[in-house]
Amino acid sequence: MRPVLLSGHERALTQVKYNPDGDIIFSVSKDHVVCAWYSGNGERLGTYHGHVGALWSVDVDPTSTLLATGGADNTMRLWEVKTGKLLKTWEFATSIKRVEFSPDGRLLLGVTEKRSGHLGTIVVYEIDPEKGEDQSDEQYLRILCEESKATVAGFSYLAKYIIAGHEDGSVTQYDAKTGEEYKNVQVHEPDMMVTDLQWAPDRTYFITASKDKTAKLVSAFDLEILKSYSTDTPLNSAAITPVKDYVILGGGQAAMDVTTTSARQGKFEARFYHKIFMEEIGRVRGHFGPLNYVAVHPKGEGYCSGGEDGYVRVHHFDKAYFDFKYEVEREQANL
Amino acid sequence: QDQIKRDAGNRQVVEARRRLLEEWRAWRAHVIELLREEGAEDAVPLPEKGEGEALDDEKEAEEVE
Repeated sequence: MRPVLLSGHERALTQVKYNPDGDIIFSVSKDHVVCAWYSGNGERLGTYHGHVGALWSVDVDPTSTLLATGGADNTMRLWEVKTGKLLKTWEFATSIKRVEFSPDGRLLLGVTEKRSGHLGTIVVYEIDPEKGEDQSDEQYLRILCEESKATVAGFSYLAKYIIAGHEDGSVTQYDAKTGEEYKNVQVHEPDMMVTDLQWAPDRTYFITASKDKTAKLVSAFDLEILKSYSTDTPLNSAAITPVKDYVILGGGQAAMDVTTTSARQGKFEARFYHKIFMEEIGRVRGHFGPLNYVAVHPKGEGYCSGGEDGYVRVHHFDKAYFDFKYEVEREQANL
Repeated sequence: QDQIKRDAGNRQVVEARRRLLEEWRAWRAHVIELLREEGAEDAVPLPEKGEGEALDDEKEAEEVE
């Protein structure tokens, strides 16, 4: 795998995202700047300036027209991808930890941080791509997270459910229209934060990553745990690959958190597991710090990772990756 | 003797994988049925290949080997 290094950020990366075509990568970092890059050659095609705090989250709408960001300056912002123009700023009492568009791009959710006097919430706004700067200030939905604050959230297939991961290691399924809570499942170890939630292409299931060193594949229908992937390091991110039945996990113990001198410091590798068999099949090295986010090319052609070291590493899968197959997969394919 | 043991072990591993693969495919088929019932089949980008079910393209790819 030939990696392309995206250098330009001055601080730790917090999230990276491909656009739906996979030719552009958006990255956000603690350095307050949003960057757009060509995934093919790593050339930077633009930056989006305006935030005045660390950025925690970024998402692009299904037409690659609008970009949403959220960060420590207590704002969620909407940008025009092509021009870099800031279209809308929504202000909150606390920082925005996660943003995500609905599958059709007509809704945008934000996860707000908890602070004394403020519960963590999930807020949803209606987005009209035709309206440019004239977006609604009115909240379409607001979910209060009274039990445990949400750390991540997103929309299921058809935007039927909002599914959130929480600080206490649980996952909740809400009605995406009314906000009614249907189900809460302790998917991870108690009080082990859910650090990431990414969808399968059809959004009928998703993967969660946690500080409990595992990732879980969970059904969006009933929150049934379908698969479990165990590692030896706290996880920050997990992604599902299309085309091949793999998942990619990223994490690592930050140097300041390592109390004992371990023989193998860091373990800053992207780990590949077989999605169905739950066995580890490979690792990719390169980062000098924990991997804070891994994102997969929407057509399954590669992946990229954003690190605590300030770099984005973009990998294009080679033929061996696509050819690799377990014996039982071969025999099934030949039936 | 060791060889026999090893072969038996391998067989078990392969059997377990085969079961997991079948189980997964059954679950996916069930999910696609549910999506149809909810009228979501057009709204949802169903997996093109992979997902352990639509393997026609991969068959062609394998013949190259």
